[in-house]
Amino acid sequence: MVNENTRIGEVVEATTTSFVSQCYRLYDSPYLGSIVKTGGPYPAFGLVYNITTQGIDPSRKPVARGIDNLSEDDVYKMNPQLEKLLRTDFFSITIGYIDNSKITCKLPPKPPPIYSFVGPCDDSDLLTLATDLSFIKVIVNSGLPATDELVAIIINKLASYNDNREEFLITAGKVLINVFPGDFRKMEYILSKVQL
Amino acid sequence: MSLDLNKIIGQIQSAVDTLSNNSTDQINKIQHAINIIKSANPTELESKRDLSDTAFLVPRIQDSLSSSHKALDIPSQYNVIAVDGSHIDVDRHLPLECYLINIGTVMISYGDEPSASLSNYPQLFTSQTGMVITDPDSSRHQNVEGPLLGILRTIEELRSLVDLVKSVKNSYPILALVDGSLILWGIIGQSYPEYIRKFLLEDGLIGVLDELKQLAISKSLVLAAYVSLPRSTEVTNLVRISPPNCPYPISNCDSNCGSISFGARPCDQSGDVLDRDIFSGILNEGERSDIFASTLPLVESYYGEHAVYFFYLNTGDEIARIEIPKWVAEQRELLELTHSLCLDQAKLGHGYPISIAEAHEQAVVTSSDREEFKILVENALGDKWLPVYTSLKNQSKKLKWL
Repeated sequence: MVNENTRIGEVVEATTTSFVSQCYRLYDSPYLGSIVKTGGPYPAFGLVYNITTQGIDPSRKPVARGIDNLSEDDVYKMNPQLEKLLRTDFFSITIGYIDNSKITCKLPPKPPPIYSFVGPCDDSDLLTLATDLSFIKVIVNSGLPATDELVAIIINKLASYNDNREEFLITAGKVLINVFPGDFRKMEYILSKVQL
Repeated sequence: MSLDLNKIIGQIQSAVDTLSNNSTDQINKIQHAINIIKSANPTELESKRDLSDTAFLVPRIQDSLSSSHKALDIPSQYNVIAVDGSHIDVDRHLPLECYLINIGTVMISYGDEPSASLSNYPQLFTSQTGMVITDPDSSRHQNVEGPLLGILRTIEELRSLVDLVKSVKNSYPILALVDGSLILWGIIGQSYPEYIRKFLLEDGLIGVLDELKQLAISKSLVLAAYVSLPRSTEVTNLVRISPPNCPYPISNCDSNCGSISFGARPCDQSGDVLDRDIFSGILNEGERSDIFASTLPLVESYYGEHAVYFFYLNTGDEIARIEIPKWVAEQRELLELTHSLCLDQAKLGHGYPISIAEAHEQAVVTSSDREEFKILVENALGDKWLPVYTSLKNQSKKLKWL
């Protein structure tokens, strides 16, 4: 279940492999590379790989508000309606789910229903996810842009939650060798972004 | 077969050529009108207007004629409330007789705690809920559709302003803004019986305006209607009755010039000039004109305390016409507040008040919405096993057979 006090949005599009969530508040999205959790019969874990902010009405494009505004904050202060006319969405790739209170790093039998609540993961969820890094292969094979960056971010994040950081990083390194057999340049690139 | 654009393009070109050939003549006409209005004596002209019997509408002059007034500072905290509406008219090709009014509302608070609320309220009216206006003193009745529905919608828009004003919790000034005119122009030219006029005006519009005026006692509230690209010629009509355009001491059009054909009368030299043309030569950016009072018989007969006054405003992007009720026009503070807040709204909206623009976005019913609405009605009828039918004419339009 997503904590009522920490939920940040709702699922507005869902497929077996990914879901899109709309934030309750403009710009109040999780960070790129965060892991979020949905509600629903099979609560899904998703890695945030893209964040967008645009007009709610696709036929209305934002236009520059003019040079008279003293600061960027002024634009929103002078135009309070913008908070109601823009929306921030974040896109997540599904990396696991919960079935009978057990976390599994596989695709869920069904995607989360539309309007499922979405919130950040608990520390305990992250620790469990860190024990099975097979989802790294899912990310790499997803065809998404900047997957190397995402892999580095998630490894750093999970390492920070792990008591035995060194052991976790060795395990993660082994997973990377399996995911990128012989591709040392890619390995080198990812490892250069991991805080060893 | 759609419109054959090849056949119309030549006619459009010819019309545009005529316009461009006349442009120098038009500039001279406008300058002539500006010169007259600037040199006219307001007291003498008002006295002449009062005694005259013209074939056109001439507004009452309040103070001066051609002064320009700068806007006061915009209050650091204020609220704007705006409404706009759209409707789906009765479609006799639909099996369910109904119409829909969609009111879009906007409330924006500026200042230390900026906030906004954007909503819309679509309401369906059927034979059970307001399809007919009945005469309480007889069995006469009138179906609500067409122009009558448009008038009712305008009244509903103003009614929703009342609720919005009541919902404002802070004590900052409130600008209640509507698109278009405070005058129910739709009534003019229609031969509605007296019970319809009473329903629309005394029981409808005036009742709502009374409520707003009442609210203005306890709140710093101004009501204004904003006309973008106005085509009014009321101030031009003051030019028409001014000498030398009208050489007669009293302008009695029928007796003085009744035998002269339209276009050849002395005053017709200002005939194609719009009020906005005159004020574009008088007002600098941000300035407003003097105020004038409408002398439309409908206003003078029914509006009372809400008699419509107006002024022109140079927003920097256009000359807009702002209509206000008498109770706003006669209080200097409220008049100046209307001026500065309308100007600020236009600036925030890149030339058109942002609050009305957003209210319009909330209210708009697109052509695809109209189609969806029809499908919803048909599906609802089908769900209850009620007959879904349409006219053969409508079927014919849909099938487009050969």
